[in-house]
Amino acid sequence: MSNNQSLENWLTTRQLEPRWSVGLSGVANLIVLLIGVFAVWWIFFSNGGIFKLYTPLLGFSLVIWTLLILLWQTELFDYWPFSRSYLQNTHPLAKGATMSLLMLVIYLVLIIGCVYLIMGKLGITYFNWNSLMTYGDFGQDATSTREAASWAMLCLSVPFFLVSVWFMFGIGKDLFPELKQPKFGIAMWSIIAVLGIYFYFIFFHPHIGSMFYPKQIYAAVPPWWESIAQTNSAEYSLGILFVTVVGIFYAFHLWDGWPYNYVQKQPWRFIYFAVVSLVIGYIIFRVQLFIFDYIWYEAYVGGQNEANFGWRYSHTVTMANFVLVIALIQNVFFGQAYEKMNAVVRGLIKTIVAVVVGLLFAWAYYAWGPALLGICGGISHPSENAAAFLIMVINLIMIQDYFMDRWPGYRLKK
Amino acid sequence: MKRRNFLKGMAATGAGVALSGGVGTLSKAQARKQEDFGVIKSLKVHVISETSWFDNPTLGKDIKAAGGINTNQYDVVYTEENLGGYAALVEVEALDGKKTKYLLDTGWSNDWMDYCFEKDGIDKMLQNREIDTMIISHDHIDHYFGLESTLKHQDDIKIYFPPTAMKKSFELLKGADFSATPGCPKNSIPHKGELIVTETDKLYKLQDGAALVFFDAPATLQVRGENVMYFNIKDKGYVTVTGCCHPGIMTLINYARRNFKDGSNNYGCYGGLHISPFENWDPKMDDILKGVKAMNMTKVACNHCTGWIWAEKADKMGIPIVHGTNKNLSYKKTGTLAKANTSNVYLGNGDEVIF
Repeated sequence: MSNNQSLENWLTTRQLEPRWSVGLSGVANLIVLLIGVFAVWWIFFSNGGIFKLYTPLLGFSLVIWTLLILLWQTELFDYWPFSRSYLQNTHPLAKGATMSLLMLVIYLVLIIGCVYLIMGKLGITYFNWNSLMTYGDFGQDATSTREAASWAMLCLSVPFFLVSVWFMFGIGKDLFPELKQPKFGIAMWSIIAVLGIYFYFIFFHPHIGSMFYPKQIYAAVPPWWESIAQTNSAEYSLGILFVTVVGIFYAFHLWDGWPYNYVQKQPWRFIYFAVVSLVIGYIIFRVQLFIFDYIWYEAYVGGQNEANFGWRYSHTVTMANFVLVIALIQNVFFGQAYEKMNAVVRGLIKTIVAVVVGLLFAWAYYAWGPALLGICGGISHPSENAAAFLIMVINLIMIQDYFMDRWPGYRLKK
Repeated sequence: MKRRNFLKGMAATGAGVALSGGVGTLSKAQARKQEDFGVIKSLKVHVISETSWFDNPTLGKDIKAAGGINTNQYDVVYTEENLGGYAALVEVEALDGKKTKYLLDTGWSNDWMDYCFEKDGIDKMLQNREIDTMIISHDHIDHYFGLESTLKHQDDIKIYFPPTAMKKSFELLKGADFSATPGCPKNSIPHKGELIVTETDKLYKLQDGAALVFFDAPATLQVRGENVMYFNIKDKGYVTVTGCCHPGIMTLINYARRNFKDGSNNYGCYGGLHISPFENWDPKMDDILKGVKAMNMTKVACNHCTGWIWAEKADKMGIPIVHGTNKNLSYKKTGTLAKANTSNVYLGNGDEVIF
């Protein structure tokens, strides 16, 4: 696999065509996706499955990191080390298997190797559940430490995710136009890592420093957002930052990139992209909270389940992802059906469909999830997290799209 | 929240004005007509057993091996020597001085519950019908699997039962044997008495000043819902008595405020508060400390799944935690927490609290 890269990203140059009509091709993809979702869930995640990774946080941290790695592989590293001829001529199933395997290897090296094994053993205790058990006292048992370490890894992913999408879509190749892969990817990733770690320490580390008794106040300040968020939980940061990421994907999959296509000149594009994404993310976050207030009345300090501020912040991510899953399915599998429409009408219809069907999807998940997925009933269950399932589904859609050229419904134009 | 306030809030957000969440106060919304279920003179709660299991890490390992905290509780292989149970004797003194006893829950291990029942004379109280009503708060392992220990003394005891209990839990009432899985229950004595399966949003008046409310709250090991006892003590206020308090203590206080006459007079609570059952901490638990402190209760008597860590922190920040004695150390088994020389912020086995 030689490094025969052109300047244009593979994703912007590849051209896909439906094998059959757009509707039939989309339905075929949806069927394959559903088969994949149930197979992966029941084999790897479910409590009744083989690997039981949905603890829930261990599974959640895995799917969010693999999704981010997938985006790095495709958007940042432009499929390096795979050559254009490999991408053009290999069967989608073989490409999907190879690239998914590489994604898992990168996860194992980066997260399990560098973060869990090395940093967790030699640097920061809370990244490794065995270290927590070794050095911990009350409460540091096999179950709770696995969740605590998984939560830390999940928290680490969120600022990495936000900074990654800012750089991938707000800067693109503008910063290092002369670099080829993998130098370009490494250079961009290095900056993302520096900023991601920096934001992690500000927005999440205070939460994790407060997860022990006594609080680790010499290593982490107590949560500084308490008076703003009415909670000590970093679910406040998680809610705003992750909904911001979801909002960016809404723009690309529902509104053809609007409103990010107004500014092209750097550094204004990057600044505009970051600020506007935060504003959109915050509006989506806040509107959801008002709806939650309407449904469950106000949250209150110390309330549990749906009365808990932290849970509500976290639930904004879940609900945003229900809509995102539908937005992705609509755009990736059926998007060509909208091509002839006026852009405004197209955006409006796509948004209405995504929100309405997304809410129906949420209803179906909570109503039928216990029977179909083996999850516990209830929306605010303390040891359930629907976002884990949803991000796993997004992973599979992205694998089908980015790694497998939307097989089986679509194929590359030769 | 009144709907018009919600719409105002929407308008404010649309203008980009809203910067922070709702103020952390309890809802002022009025659900419906406020209930007045009378008053009692006093309430005494005796801890029959709060040690549902004796070692947290051992139970944690059992649950992890079975697939985690969301596994069906009847599918977990438990380490049998680790099992205890939760039960409390709730004694109500009416305004005329008449005393009525209720059994709250029936524990887990039959060996342990038989020992505790004998030690506290619960077996005799059941046999001579001093206790004729049992409230099953919820069908979790440690509150319900020891059913036979109660029925063997009074098989026609009146039982209040959660409607969300698992199918196998209903089967256990009729007589069933699930003990092929270590730690799972068997009951060879079918229940013959009145069975009241509670319903959501309905208040069950046990007697003047005492009521039962079912909350459909989520819990671990695929269990749902919990029956909660409310008492209104004359000139003092409301007291909640819970098995695990899965709905959350602030939810119970909020429910009283919204639904009971003078419901803001919250005097105290007893029971497991289900905050940190495995002694792990989360910053959300700091929120519960802050919320409970703001409620200005007079007596907070907690144990079991509250989390010793939470009770210790609550005590240090001035929440009126009722301290236990060392009676629990005289029992044939003690939990690893007691052995670790922790402070007695828990009301332990054999202790009592009077409201």
